[in-house]
Amino acid sequence: MRRIQNIANWLRSLFRRNTVEKELGSELRFHIERQVEENIAAGMTEQDARRAAEREFGGVEQVKEECRDTRRVNYVENLIKDTRYGVRMLCKSPSFTFFAVAVLALGIAANSAIFSIADAVLIRPLPYADADRLVIIWEDASAYGFPKDTPAPGNFSDWKLRNQVFDDVAATGFGGSFNLTGQGLPEKLTGREVTANLFSVLGVTPELGRDFRPEDDIPGATPVTILSHSLWLRQFGGDSQILGKQISLNYEKCIVVGVMKRGFQFPDRETEVWTPERFTKEELANHGSHFLEVVARLKPGVSLKVANVDLAVIAQQLEKEHPDSNSKVGAFAVPLREEFAGDTRTAILMLVGAVCFVLLIACANVANLLLSRATGRRREMAMRLALGATRGRIVQQMLTESILLAILAGVAGLLLSVWGTRFLATLIPAGIAPLTGTGVDGRVLLFTLAVTLATGILFGIIPASRVSQFHLTPSLKQGGGQSGVGSGGQRLRDALVISEVALAIVLLAGGALMIRSLQNLYHLDPGFRAEHVLVMHTPLPDQKYKNLTQRSAFYDRVLANVETLPGVVAAGYTTWIPLTNAGGAMGVTLEGKPEPAPGQALIPNVRIISKNYAAALGMKLIEGRLLEQGDGFGKPLVALINQTMAKNYWPGENPVGKRFKSGRYSEKSPWISVVGIVGDIHQAGLDLPARAEMYFPYQQQDDGFSPEYLAVRASGDPMALAEIVRQQVWAVDKEQPVAKVMPLEDLVDENLSSRRMQASLLSGFAGLALLLVTLGIYAVLSFAVTQRTQEIGVRVAMGAQPRDVLRMIFAQGFKLFLIGAAIGLAAALALSRALVHLLFGVSAYDPASFASVMALLAAVAFLACYVPARRATRVDPLIALRYE
Amino acid sequence: MTKPTDLVQGTLDLLILKTIAPEPMHGWAIAQRIRRVSNNVLQVNQGALYPALHRLEQQAWIQSKWGESENNRRAKYYSLTKAGQKYLQAEESNWERLSSAIGLVLKAI
Repeated sequence: MRRIQNIANWLRSLFRRNTVEKELGSELRFHIERQVEENIAAGMTEQDARRAAEREFGGVEQVKEECRDTRRVNYVENLIKDTRYGVRMLCKSPSFTFFAVAVLALGIAANSAIFSIADAVLIRPLPYADADRLVIIWEDASAYGFPKDTPAPGNFSDWKLRNQVFDDVAATGFGGSFNLTGQGLPEKLTGREVTANLFSVLGVTPELGRDFRPEDDIPGATPVTILSHSLWLRQFGGDSQILGKQISLNYEKCIVVGVMKRGFQFPDRETEVWTPERFTKEELANHGSHFLEVVARLKPGVSLKVANVDLAVIAQQLEKEHPDSNSKVGAFAVPLREEFAGDTRTAILMLVGAVCFVLLIACANVANLLLSRATGRRREMAMRLALGATRGRIVQQMLTESILLAILAGVAGLLLSVWGTRFLATLIPAGIAPLTGTGVDGRVLLFTLAVTLATGILFGIIPASRVSQFHLTPSLKQGGGQSGVGSGGQRLRDALVISEVALAIVLLAGGALMIRSLQNLYHLDPGFRAEHVLVMHTPLPDQKYKNLTQRSAFYDRVLANVETLPGVVAAGYTTWIPLTNAGGAMGVTLEGKPEPAPGQALIPNVRIISKNYAAALGMKLIEGRLLEQGDGFGKPLVALINQTMAKNYWPGENPVGKRFKSGRYSEKSPWISVVGIVGDIHQAGLDLPARAEMYFPYQQQDDGFSPEYLAVRASGDPMALAEIVRQQVWAVDKEQPVAKVMPLEDLVDENLSSRRMQASLLSGFAGLALLLVTLGIYAVLSFAVTQRTQEIGVRVAMGAQPRDVLRMIFAQGFKLFLIGAAIGLAAALALSRALVHLLFGVSAYDPASFASVMALLAAVAFLACYVPARRATRVDPLIALRYE
Repeated sequence: MTKPTDLVQGTLDLLILKTIAPEPMHGWAIAQRIRRVSNNVLQVNQGALYPALHRLEQQAWIQSKWGESENNRRAKYYSLTKAGQKYLQAEESNWERLSSAIGLVLKAI
């Protein structure tokens, strides 16, 4: 109660200031008047009575001030006064205000935008229960070229049974396509076959209906499915009676038993339907085919390190038990978030560093401007000090001004970052973006506020503390402030410019290295020509296309139709178009070579293709021949191999004509002859080296993978053919879903997009830094020229030539530049090591990049020096000397 | 340990609170009453009285109201709040304990 009254009193003093003041006046007046009456009653004359009363009372103003003090609103009133004054000062020099706000706003916007990205990718919790206990488990098959391999069902089931560290372990199959039919146009959905415990491991329950039960997940169980919220809304209109209904997935009737919550996704955004794996006993004992993604929940209190030790122990047991499949196959767990963030983590941390640098440069710039202004305002400050202001009050006033500037900049920066975040959202890995949500929200606002205040204090504290330090008399004595800046102030300003230069060099060097990497990637030969190639995905459902004859008939007819279309140069089918699957491999044995020891099995990538696929993609034939019409069903088995396979498997020999078979020597599988060698294709990513790879004609491969991607080389714009090619597919099978229709160039672009984004962002920030540094050097030198006008006048009067004046100013500017450059270079060399993972084909110490950065900055520094130096040469000695 | 100034200030607060406890009073009357009751021993300086009144009011021990004075002028009358009454009781017993303690010490030596 008293507390509330207290606050009410305080607020009254603050907001009804005039009333309170008036009351205070009349109260004291009443006291004096009353005393006067008393004195008169005691027999004094009115004049004496009044004089005595006033004398007794003492200083009215002093009492008033003391009374005001008791109300504790002084500091608020001071703040208001300072703010009002600050606003007036800022309005009085609009160009300074605009410049400072713009510079700071850019710095703050960059920070807010990058923070919102970092927050989404690295900080915000994932929408699963206790997400920090979730891990993804991978096989480590580095010995075979797969350091992070999708686990085999046998390994998954043994991990699940034997581990001591996980609450539970669940698995999903390799991302599959599900054809949803009987609901209008055939639609292809991405779905996953999952073990029944997946959702419970993730700690989520369906919004409607029930979770999978163990009895759904055994062979022969009634097919059931759980839908994503978005699929439920889109395809079934949010039908609340959906539970128990049958839908047709891959020509199999499934009963819908559940609908997930809105926004739930696992393992990626595309997945919209889940069905139980229904592994058979045999499948769960298979340690050889690797296609699962395994997610596990750590027991409470178990660390990742302990879990990895446990997994390693199990992997060793499995190596002994299954030497054929598990030799040199390890296992390790990765936190789910790290898995989702992936490579972007380093890139985002780099960008966080970059924007901090930009903001520091911006602060240095504005601090410098404030310092020059402060010099101009010395007399004002000296006057205030002389009139009794404490130094604390002056610092408070200066800081109020700088925080005011920062707040203006913060608002502008926030607006900028709203726009920037939308643009930056593409940086977030597709898997994680909708999980955590992005954009400007409370967290970003809070961050921006913190950055803004820190910025205001950071750039305000130096000028403020300097002002409060100077000595009174000289400041008051000085004339117009011509030679007003002390050597200390100049040194401080120089230091600020030097650090700006150094910071900019670090940023520019990083940007240059990233650009070089990107250039290298663009100039890299990917092994195919992406331009003019149209791609579409038409996976054939197993239930409908049960055997090779049916499938071959489909491919033959579609390809025959498409190749006769006008504008089509070549068309081919493949299991995976480049950049869509890093793996897809098969063990082989070479004829005439010893059986590989356990752990040294030869497992090249395998692609099943049609004969014109190589032509459609523009692959290069190095040796031998490509596939021909004659390489058909029942004919001798043939294969194309890539250069890496030729070089590694038959070193020093010509592999054409050599034979190998899939699987081990002992297997009955027929021998396959190498008929041609083709150039390497970067299947896994442009920045990743090619693996050994072989290509089989689809007519000769009955089991395993079947082609899914159609590639069409056009003579012109590939997308112009999209519709007509799709019609040709439907002409063969009107129920066949067609998806991912796009130019192959899009895949290449997408593969480079995050790198391109990183490079352009870092360069953008570096460019911003460059601009700020230019302005910084320019401002310091212009100011110095103004300060030294008189000195220059004297020099000219004594016979100095314009060249000498020019040299003098340049020397001053370049001294700063050179010191800054040296420091920056050292820092850049030290920091660029952190970039190593983001670079491609360029050393972190690339001399060319560093040299070009130095040259660029030197050129800019030259310009920034030139303008003020020119002005200095035009100083008229007569005017300059009269100036004082 | 209390510093002497604190003692003085605390004492003035106590005197003010005690003085206005029976009925609301304005500043001048408070000063007069204290002087009269203390047989002119305690002279309350205006420079200390008004800040003390304002502080006590800010702290909500006392409240004020404008009213008609004995000479038909508008004056600001101070009275105790509920919290102030309790505070006064506590301070009074504090004071008694303190002064009797001091008295004991002075007599003993």
